[in-house]
Amino acid sequence: MAELIVTSNPYPDLLSAFVCNYFFLYDGSKVRGESDQTREGICYFYPEETPLDRQELLCGQLAGAGRCVSELSSSPVRILNLHRNRFAIRMEDDLLWALGCSVEVPTVSVCELLDQLINLFCFYNGSVRHSYQLNSQETLASRWAQYLSHLQSGSSELQHIFSCLKTIDSTNVDPLLLLKAALILQACQRCPLVLAGCILFRGRVVSTQMSPQLTMKVMVHESGTYTKPQRPNGQSSSFGSAVSSTAVFLTPSELQYLQSTPVDKDFSSHSTPHKNTPLKKTRLSRTLSDTLSSTESEPSDPGSSQSPQKLLSPHLSESSVYSSDPSQSTPNPPPPQPPEPPLSNGKHSPVEESLEESYYHSFHSNGEGGSQIDNGGDSSAFGENSHLYGGGVDGACGEEFNFRVAEESHDNKVSEEVSGRGCGRVQGHEVERPDPPRSDAFEHPGESPLIPMTLYLHRVKGLVLALLVEPHFLSDKASMEEVYHSSLASLNGLEAHLRSVSPGVPGAPGPYIFAHFDCIQSTLTSNLSGRPGGAPERPFVRATSLLHSHFCNTETLQEAIIRSAGAAVYGTRSVAQETYFQQHGGSLRNSGIPNHQDSAFSLPGKARHRLLKHGVNLL
Amino acid sequence: MKCLLISSQSAEVLFHWTDPEFYQNVQAQYGASQEDGHGLPAFEDSISTLFAPIIISCITMVDRLGDSYTSFTTENNHIYVLHQFDECLYIAVNGDGEEGEGDLRRKIYVMKKMIEVMFGMVTLSSNLLKRELRPQDTEQRARLWEYLQSLLETYSHLRENDQSFLVEAVERLIHPTLCEQCIEFLERRLVQQLNSSVERAGEEVLHAFILVHTKLLAFYSSRNASTLSTSDLLSLIIMSQNMYPSNTDQDDPNPEDIESTSGSGPESFYTPEPSPTNMDSRSSDMPVRESTPLFEFVDPDVQMAEDSLHTLEVPLPDPSTPRRVFLEVSLKDGLFPMMPHSMYCLPLWPGITLVLLTKIPTSAVAMSVYTFLEAFAKLEKRLNEGQEGPAATRGQPTIHDIRSKLDKFIKALGASEIQSAQLQNVWTDFKNRIGRGGPGFNRELIRSCKNMKTQLCGVYRQCFLIESGTADSPRRLSPGLQERAQTMVQDKLMDWKDFLLCIDLDPVNLTYLEDFPGLIHFICVDRSTGQMIAPSLNITERNVSELGKGPLAQFIKSKVWSLVSTTRRYLQKGYSTVTLRDGDFYFCYFLWFENETGYKLEAGDIPVLADDSAPIGMLAWDYYRKLLRYYSKNHQGEVVKCYELLTVHLGVIPTEVILQHCRQLASKLWEPSRNPLL
Repeated sequence: MAELIVTSNPYPDLLSAFVCNYFFLYDGSKVRGESDQTREGICYFYPEETPLDRQELLCGQLAGAGRCVSELSSSPVRILNLHRNRFAIRMEDDLLWALGCSVEVPTVSVCELLDQLINLFCFYNGSVRHSYQLNSQETLASRWAQYLSHLQSGSSELQHIFSCLKTIDSTNVDPLLLLKAALILQACQRCPLVLAGCILFRGRVVSTQMSPQLTMKVMVHESGTYTKPQRPNGQSSSFGSAVSSTAVFLTPSELQYLQSTPVDKDFSSHSTPHKNTPLKKTRLSRTLSDTLSSTESEPSDPGSSQSPQKLLSPHLSESSVYSSDPSQSTPNPPPPQPPEPPLSNGKHSPVEESLEESYYHSFHSNGEGGSQIDNGGDSSAFGENSHLYGGGVDGACGEEFNFRVAEESHDNKVSEEVSGRGCGRVQGHEVERPDPPRSDAFEHPGESPLIPMTLYLHRVKGLVLALLVEPHFLSDKASMEEVYHSSLASLNGLEAHLRSVSPGVPGAPGPYIFAHFDCIQSTLTSNLSGRPGGAPERPFVRATSLLHSHFCNTETLQEAIIRSAGAAVYGTRSVAQETYFQQHGGSLRNSGIPNHQDSAFSLPGKARHRLLKHGVNLL
Repeated sequence: MKCLLISSQSAEVLFHWTDPEFYQNVQAQYGASQEDGHGLPAFEDSISTLFAPIIISCITMVDRLGDSYTSFTTENNHIYVLHQFDECLYIAVNGDGEEGEGDLRRKIYVMKKMIEVMFGMVTLSSNLLKRELRPQDTEQRARLWEYLQSLLETYSHLRENDQSFLVEAVERLIHPTLCEQCIEFLERRLVQQLNSSVERAGEEVLHAFILVHTKLLAFYSSRNASTLSTSDLLSLIIMSQNMYPSNTDQDDPNPEDIESTSGSGPESFYTPEPSPTNMDSRSSDMPVRESTPLFEFVDPDVQMAEDSLHTLEVPLPDPSTPRRVFLEVSLKDGLFPMMPHSMYCLPLWPGITLVLLTKIPTSAVAMSVYTFLEAFAKLEKRLNEGQEGPAATRGQPTIHDIRSKLDKFIKALGASEIQSAQLQNVWTDFKNRIGRGGPGFNRELIRSCKNMKTQLCGVYRQCFLIESGTADSPRRLSPGLQERAQTMVQDKLMDWKDFLLCIDLDPVNLTYLEDFPGLIHFICVDRSTGQMIAPSLNITERNVSELGKGPLAQFIKSKVWSLVSTTRRYLQKGYSTVTLRDGDFYFCYFLWFENETGYKLEAGDIPVLADDSAPIGMLAWDYYRKLLRYYSKNHQGEVVKCYELLTVHLGVIPTEVILQHCRQLASKLWEPSRNPLL
């Protein structure tokens, strides 16, 4: 007779459970024939040191059984459980991803982890199948490994459970600093080529304009560069090391979301060369008072106030050029931006012309800049991120951007503009941007087309300004310079302030533990110390994990109290938040029989009372 | 979209059950892949082909990785649960969202339990079990599978509609006077009379009980009988419900479907007058198999006396033929699982059934077989763990202990009609081998152990699974005697019958709506005795419960059902108190321990179990028995009892009031006056 199988530790370490045991990408299309070996289909396997026959076993069996189940149910397999491993599965066409964790990890979390991983890959590399056509398996293997290690790195158990953003501890930071960060971002956004941005400090979010999912993706690159040893001459005065960029890819819905966010472009400066207005380098670098003053000055210039809207449309067609499939790009450009009715005063046409020219020229100069950097052999720091997309267009992407070079070329550009040398925009594109070999990238119906964008990073020591920009932002010297110079001072100031903020006192373990998850912003507030081996906290984390799964699966569930021998935990949620609370001390001795004097049932009241001072309102 | 499949490791279908939707789905898939119109293959072949890759992959994973699939979930929420018992792989599928992973796993375990009740220790030998489950004779196979399918359907129906099968505890009718009278009647009149009759053919009635639908009206066990476990009792209720379904929870009972309701008066439920001709015709109905060798033995391990391999006869639905059931027996000298009994299910009126359980004369053989099997299994385990042969044989119980017993046993078998020559050979071989030693000794001895186990299971099978006795003198209570028993109880209950059936007693005589304003429903379970109390939750037109009828009651019912599965999930992870605010309702769950005098013991650690562990319940695997044993370790010398309470309240009621209600219910429900003793 089977006995109760009692796990030796009733509260196994969830953090160690969150470690990914297996991850692989398997391409079934390469293993079709009788003679094809399973190993030919293995695109990536983690841990990489796994013996090949074991890799083959897992890939072959999971793919085979998964396909069989999918056929029986006419639907792809999502979760596959073994006795000791829980696999989240994604099947698309012939590709199969599987990510295996210990069965301790809740199903929702494993699935989330896999989705994050795949989305990260696509964000930095574009479509998976296409990436594998362009790059060697080894190159991409190192990327999978990088993303995987990022997703697993140093987070606390709670952060894994909620898959939340790591944010700075806002309770320790002067709210004015957060406001300042937000203003910097808003100021940058005035450049129409900038879609949205975020500011990170030592791997934590200070302020973001992007969705939590997108912010998370951006953070990977940041942490990747942050952890790399800084070069000795990497002072902020040297533009070269402070600014970098990389090609990224947005899904149509992400782009739509970014573009639908109302941006007060009326305050926008002229990001592109504007003949009417002299360039002001300090333009974007403003405090609140600057903004106010600009409000007064700007509307007087109709050209500038109109330009952002105007500017968008060429950019849109630009991005549709990038999107591979001509049939998709021309009839429905991905961003559903309603076309602006043409202005009758004709003022816009010189603007557009100049824009077109500037694209052409800036592209030119950009290419030069890139090649010069290459010649300089100075690109080692981000070398592995270069050529992400392989196409000539993006030659500069992922390279460090040398501002001095850009400035030099800027002069040329201006002179060329003055000389009025016109060049057909379309022709220019054809010449300069031979169709990159991506026409087959989206041939699979399962994959939605991804829109190339650029991630621009400006680092000031531990602080990073990350902006999602239109790809030709890099070639637009003026815009870039403006964004750079206008934000530099503010960033320096912000960095200095943030650096001086003393890390929050870890605090003596209080009489209670709580965790508050903001589902909208995907942020977590908790008084749980991140210290390892917090054994007394384990029952809380465990209960939280169970309750979170329950909340995810039961829409109508509002609150719950659960009690084991070790702990009574209260959980409550609304549309926007989930809160978990455990009171320490008190008599845990109870008979388990219903008793209204039982301390477990006073948890909701205590939580309401205690959490007010943490800014959590449960009323 | 439901399916349950039992397969051998070579992807041979040992049993399958599908609902019409799944059936059509399989046919459609197979039809599409069929090229030119050779017609659809047999369903069994289609399903085997479709599942084969999963089954083979499963086996490969176990062999090469030591780990295997427990479940799959697809994006459209189809769930596949897999579990391997020995060499039989069970796969349960749901594609309509009505069952969760836990439900499917439970279904698998229940199926296995039913197979154990039907085949006893034969289930301990995979080779023999595979043959039992898949008789060569297609007609016989169809009949067996049909029977198993109907059992499974009966179980599923009960689990979805009957609270006692939801929480897996026996529900009693609460009418102390009547219950006491009935118990006394069963003891003084019925069982005494049956056991003193010469027509009992050596059988002895051990337990007798009366069921009103699935609820127990009275239960009597004779003095020398061991306690009937809750798990077994629930299984027997499933079997009796399968034979005589009550139609209380069917909105539109179709009398044609249900034999027991086809007539209007009680007389139509009498057992048909038995006669020799009846018996003759019955035996001639059965294909004569004695002369035909049914199996080819390629594996020398399972070589047995071929003549002995009659396949199990599936009894025809002749009510006077008892069903052979294998139940757990606990005696002074230990716990003996799967001991043979005969089960007589005698319908009194539609919905009311008398069940008799008898001990069969040869049951001592089963005990010996079990002792031997246990000894060989333990030896094999020690050998597998790498102990050297001589050391391994010194464990408890030692082979030397059983040596002489086994010698005697085989000798006695030789004198009976049981074929035991093969057992004799294997045993001689084993004795020779164990004296030797040398390289490969362990491996050979393990092989020998396996051989012995197979042979012992074979003997057990001959003794208890094959219709014993001759047609002239069947070993069972004579039909006349059965009929007398039936009449006696009918006479006794005649005056009560309408009362029992009409009110279908709301078992709880509490006017709980008045006593507990805001309380909608509750279930209270005594896990030490495996009994539950709950207001009835009938949702059909005819039965109007206090909740009213129709959609509201149906909604409450679905809430209660999901509450039970939720709290099980938390219990599995070590949480014994759960309260939930869900929509407009407030749910509570409590599990606690008391000693015999009702003193509430301190809540202790509840073991944390894996997701794919055996289901929490009492039917297929008695979780609570294990829990009590685990908890009692710290309460030596004390009788520990375990209780559970689930409540559903309106969400607007203040929590303090809800908790007070719970407390009152917990203390009130098990007051001795309300709880008639057995």
